[in-house]
Amino acid sequence: MVVTCTVKVAGNTPCTNDAEERGRCVVTGAEMTREVKAISGQNPYLCMQCGLCSASCTGVGFMDLLPRKVMRLVQLGDKKLLENRAIWLCSTCLTCTARCPRGLDVSRVMEALRVINLRKGTEVLAPEGIPEELLTEIPQMALTSGFRKLSS
Amino acid sequence: MSIPYFPGCTLHVKAKDLDDSTRAALAALGLELTELPEWTCCGAVFPLAQDNYMGMVAAARILANAAKLGDGRLVTVCSFCYHVLKRVNFAFRNRTEARNKLNEYLEEHYNGEVTLLHPLELIRDDVGFDVLQDRVYRRLKGLKVACYYGCTLSRPAEEMGFGEPENPTIMEELVAALGAEPVGFSWKTKCCGSYQVLNNAALAADRAQAVLEAASRQGAHVIITSCPLCRYNLERLPVGAAGKGESEARLPVLYFTQLLGIALQLPATTLGLDSHYLDALKEARA
Ligand code: SF4
Ligand code: SF4
Repeated sequence: MVVTCTVKVAGNTPCTNDAEERGRCVVTGAEMTREVKAISGQNPYLCMQCGLCSASCTGVGFMDLLPRKVMRLVQLGDKKLLENRAIWLCSTCLTCTARCPRGLDVSRVMEALRVINLRKGTEVLAPEGIPEELLTEIPQMALTSGFRKLSS
Repeated sequence: MSIPYFPGCTLHVKAKDLDDSTRAALAALGLELTELPEWTCCGAVFPLAQDNYMGMVAAARILANAAKLGDGRLVTVCSFCYHVLKRVNFAFRNRTEARNKLNEYLEEHYNGEVTLLHPLELIRDDVGFDVLQDRVYRRLKGLKVACYYGCTLSRPAEEMGFGEPENPTIMEELVAALGAEPVGFSWKTKCCGSYQVLNNAALAADRAQAVLEAASRQGAHVIITSCPLCRYNLERLPVGAAGKGESEARLPVLYFTQLLGIALQLPATTLGLDSHYLDALKEARA
């Protein structure tokens, strides 16, 4: 996914970094961090990197980045985070939220990263991709919740 | 007295047995449920984006409709429905902006007056686990039960008010009242993988397997839950989806209302119970 840079730099000219560069662009990364703060209502800088969220996460063994690293990259404003798989593997189980010693609602940060994507039309769950057998067997709530969290 | 009841969409189709067993078991305890005259899906998940009020509107309408009935209570058993309705109700009660925004969508003003109750709470408060103990016809002596809450009933603790976020005990209290033995179960509020079954079936299978194995290690004969998705993931996924064979640790997974119904000697058909479950339970206690 290419993240379009919307930030104006000195003299109100558009940022000219190429797509590859933009992923690491400090300015646009700062924009991502601002958006995450606004959507989640959380202050990512409270995170002290203790790793309790990662140790507790349902996605352990499946996520390439566990929530502690996600929190760090939000602090650093690394926009590559928006293209990461981990945010889509969160099952919003709220274990991280219950355990964070800094009182951070980590699940809201994970959701904000999904929401930034979803509002741009980037989604991961498409009805065509679900095996028919699963579709006919699965409780309705799985479809409603899955589509609400993982598609736009 | 009849209490307003919200079944939710899964209970009308795929989890009819949860609906049937809830109504039957509560009726046997003198608690009559009346389905809300009009209802929609609750939305299934609580929106975690601060500015997503749209994701709360369906639940808001359900709560406001329940308020019109004047009983002051609303009962729901599905763990997802309970989670969403409870959190939206909490927002109505405690967050001015949410209350104002959501009321713009409602025909009649709602302030969070309704008290949302899970059947476990209703039985504890209106019947009492001590009284229930005397009303159980078939004491489930010798049956070891793993109470599986999953991730939605008890978190976030300040909003759900369902006990400790990772150690609620209300289901164990029920099980003890039925004469059965609740096993220590540290996995009781871990997640089964939930809707990730659609996106990453291997993740859900792996989690479900871990929950089953943890219950099995504690010597449980059966796992009980109030969540149709937990039940689905625990029952179906460990076979096949993760490439693992039939688990040694395979345990029957029942709704807590079915176990309650068995103890109250209700006919298996009113509990939506296949005979193979009853056989498995009999065998377990033999
Ligand atoms: S538990 Fe909280 S403080 Fe610790 S790494 Fe996770 S978010 Fe940061
Ligand atoms: S809410 Fe998401 S990030 Fe947090 S522990 Fe659960 S799966 Fe992991």
